[in-house]
Amino acid sequence: MRGTIGASLPRPDAFGKVTGETRYPADLVRPGMLHLKVVFAGRPHARILGIDTAAALRQPGVVAVLTAADVPYNAHGLIEDDQPVLCAVGEKVRFAGDKVALVAAESREAAAAGASLVVVTYEDLPAATDPRAALAADAPLVHDRHGSNQLLHLPIRKGTIERGFAEADIVLDGTFSTSWQEHAFLQPEAGIAEVDEQGRLVVETAGQWLHEDRRQIAKILGLPEERVIVRYAAIGGAFGGREDLSIQHLLALAAWTLRRPVALIWSREESIVAHHKRHPMEIRCRWGATYDGRITAVEAEVIADGGAYASTSAEVVKVATLFASGCYEVPHIAADGYAVYTNNVPSGAFRGFGAPQAQFAAEVMVTRLAHTIGMDPVELRRRNIYREGSLEPTQQPLPPGVSALPVLERCVEEAQVHLGYGLAPQSLPATTSLVAESVEADQTATGSLTPRSARGAGNGRHSPSHLRRGVGIACGIKNVGYSFGYPEQSTATVELHGGGDIERAVVRVGAADVGQGSHLALRQIAAETLGVAPGTVEMVCDDSAEAPDAGSASASRMTLMGGRAVRDAAIEALAKWRDTDDLHVEATVQYRPPATTPLAAGTGASQPNYCYGYAAQAVEVEVSLLTGQVQVLRIISVHDVGRAINHQQVEGQIEGCLAQALGYALLEHFQVRDGRVLTPYLSTYLLPTALDMPTEIVPVILELSDPNGPYGARGVAEMPLVPLTPAIAAAIHDATGVWLTQQPMTPERILTALNVGTALEKGSSNEITTTIDTKSTVTAHASK
Amino acid sequence: MFPSQFDYYRPSSLQEAIGLLGANPDAKVLAGGHSLLPAMKLRLTMPGALVDLSHIPELRGINVNGGVTIGAMTTYDEIEVSAELQQRVPMLAEAAAVVGDPHVRARGTIGGSLAHSDPAADLTAVFLALGGEVTAVGSNGERIIGADDLFVDLLTTSLQPDEVITQIKIPLTGRTAMAYEKQEHPASGYAIVGVAAVLTLRDGDHCESARLAVTGCTSKATRLTAAEDALSGQSLNEETITRAAQAASEGLEVNGDLYASEEYRRHLVTVITGRTLRRATGAITR
Repeated sequence: MRGTIGASLPRPDAFGKVTGETRYPADLVRPGMLHLKVVFAGRPHARILGIDTAAALRQPGVVAVLTAADVPYNAHGLIEDDQPVLCAVGEKVRFAGDKVALVAAESREAAAAGASLVVVTYEDLPAATDPRAALAADAPLVHDRHGSNQLLHLPIRKGTIERGFAEADIVLDGTFSTSWQEHAFLQPEAGIAEVDEQGRLVVETAGQWLHEDRRQIAKILGLPEERVIVRYAAIGGAFGGREDLSIQHLLALAAWTLRRPVALIWSREESIVAHHKRHPMEIRCRWGATYDGRITAVEAEVIADGGAYASTSAEVVKVATLFASGCYEVPHIAADGYAVYTNNVPSGAFRGFGAPQAQFAAEVMVTRLAHTIGMDPVELRRRNIYREGSLEPTQQPLPPGVSALPVLERCVEEAQVHLGYGLAPQSLPATTSLVAESVEADQTATGSLTPRSARGAGNGRHSPSHLRRGVGIACGIKNVGYSFGYPEQSTATVELHGGGDIERAVVRVGAADVGQGSHLALRQIAAETLGVAPGTVEMVCDDSAEAPDAGSASASRMTLMGGRAVRDAAIEALAKWRDTDDLHVEATVQYRPPATTPLAAGTGASQPNYCYGYAAQAVEVEVSLLTGQVQVLRIISVHDVGRAINHQQVEGQIEGCLAQALGYALLEHFQVRDGRVLTPYLSTYLLPTALDMPTEIVPVILELSDPNGPYGARGVAEMPLVPLTPAIAAAIHDATGVWLTQQPMTPERILTALNVGTALEKGSSNEITTTIDTKSTVTAHASK
Repeated sequence: MFPSQFDYYRPSSLQEAIGLLGANPDAKVLAGGHSLLPAMKLRLTMPGALVDLSHIPELRGINVNGGVTIGAMTTYDEIEVSAELQQRVPMLAEAAAVVGDPHVRARGTIGGSLAHSDPAADLTAVFLALGGEVTAVGSNGERIIGADDLFVDLLTTSLQPDEVITQIKIPLTGRTAMAYEKQEHPASGYAIVGVAAVLTLRDGDHCESARLAVTGCTSKATRLTAAEDALSGQSLNEETITRAAQAASEGLEVNGDLYASEEYRRHLVTVITGRTLRRATGAITR
């Protein structure tokens, strides 16, 4: 039906999710199923000397204890098969969440009791838990056969870095560090599996890519892929955290081996300890610029803790290294990315996929450069930001549809309206209330702490004197879809049924709806293309035997890729429909986007991606100088989505992603010591709540068509996460005069930075230019 | 997780409860259960029996008559909304209002909080600053335990295993200013640092004596004696308050954890003490 594109149609799944009728994987468990319990290693690095299952097998209700000996092909992974399903005697456990045995019992309680009776004897080994130390020649090896802990070293070279720094008038150094992030999807891993009447293995869980789960399960069990069916129940969030196998293969192994229906439900603690995380990274960088605002050189070293198994580390590090210079065209670049094996929890896919870490560093550096040369940070961005035809660090022009600049300009306009950004201080309302409302003296604890810019955007509003407001702006870029030569594709089938008119359309596309609403978006694309009402379109998406491979619901790609496949298949089906009197036609189309190429050895030269999403954000924060607490007051988040297929869903994606981004920036402090997770509960790993979110979020959706996307659509899922941490860092700097370079920016870290800032302020002012920026917002706000 | 097996008793009189505790040496007293039950689910504690005090009428209620007497099984909610407490011991009602969340406040009790001696509880510090006392009844009869003698260590009080707190008494003496302030843990609402202050006043803003107690950063609710000394006998102006706040953490054994280090908490003791004193003194009519 025309006019369907863009319409905020209500989510068909909303009612069930609100009322509790929706069946998530844990709701599929039926009486009579065997319950599974995993025996985890609980230690970071050890050789297994023996596994004694006798006592567990004597536990009433326990039916079997599966070990590595029961696994036909005991290795799996999204890219490299380097992860055992169950760790074998004589082999090693490589992180605390490694799996050693799988107990099957008639009840959950019996399975838990049985698991506690499995006796595993270990020889503990020295653990490699610091990625930089793990690169040393004498570090303990995580994978002995690999010969070193370096999983990947990627150099990207563009221009001549020495020349770039020679051309620069000023050069700034920076070191940034980020920690792990836990996906914390609402629904921990759960599922069921059984062998059906036709002897096929059916696994029903939640995931992000039916056909990839099927591929890995079939390989592990030595079955033809057609013998395995993967189905997804309602998926309670994913964020990249369901890309790797977690329990799918365990369910499959137990059901296939024991020939009985099985169920497995992980607790939150099991989920946090066992599934992969966002990569912690340390980024050391050096940026050069001229006084007239040309960024001439970026040198960067990115070291990522990949944890115990490869997962998608290599790809994440490629993305992070590619974005070491942000969304700016820099003539001279030398960036080196390292993915390192350690005995920590594996790192893998997480919304943003390396882009948030890299651009935390890049965006802060750009703002610092601007302050140092006395230029508005927006103006410096404007002069260097990607434009149509700009050369990437990989030396090829960007794919067409570059909208970084209009996105930034719109963000600045909105920031002027909502945050008073860029208004000269003298034009702001009187500031007397800042002092008049004071209930606490500044001097109590932190000494005479007066920030360089006491302006703050909240001037004129009631605010005690120990609270400082500031505004920050940052940009972001993230690829849509798979990169670096991966054979990217999406396949859809459209069936049309009816006499004269199309009475019923069936769209088959194996696209996971992880909560983002992909099924509705794909349905709207089909309805628009076919010229039928959305209700006429039936979606078949959640069964690997019933729907073709649409690829993963990741990399912000499903609307573009799955949507394009659906649109092309619909167009072809419609053509067939018009040429025939049959009551049924069917068309299957595989869409392949413009090809990307692998990164050339030594230089990284390539066409890395076929599409990018561009974002810019402005935030206002309030910082307590006494406690270091930060409240984000307003966020403006501007995105070019090409075309919003469903406006409300796009806004939902932006708002939801901002919550995850705010948590990443300020709260979510995943802590690991000696390979052991110290924060395995949501009482210790802090997630943002409604009260942590700003009262005002302004999502701004631009629709500048992508040349390949259906109706011009590109993706949006990850983009709001990319600029928020540096935007908040810039706002904190605007408020207080200090830069935070560690994620998350916890109250304690902020207070420490304030105290260091005060100490430096009292000392020699010459030493502080790299830590505290002396020009601060006087220039930032006066020059616009 | 599930707790281990236990027997459950619900006595209807205090005497019956004492008898059950005597007969079941591995029994625990169940008040609101908001600390005990999670600990049992995590199997941090595995009592053989629970003696539930919720059906003993004599353990409930608030009586303001000369002094203040509060039944041990009075909930935070009941304390929060008590007009008499709001008027006579405003800090107690205010502190009860910031315990946990509405669910916790509907079930949790003042007696349970004091007997548990959680290092981050709110009412322990408030009770200590108020200089209250508890009545404890056990097989050896009844005794009074003063605030300074109740908290022994982390999760440890001077109560005997078969003793039950029956009521809490708060003295009301002369003209006072009081306040409780805390910085709370974002997830649990427990105090990272909480400070309760009771200032006894004479002649306008002259501080005759002061009792301050901290929670959240020490193994048990603890008096801030250095801050008290800095306030006693002084005029309550900004200078005195700043000096007291800066003295507050002197000699204090401060603990850190994953969320906040010892150093950060020590700093917060100063910040929160200052905040508490400013709010307490802000209400004084001079």
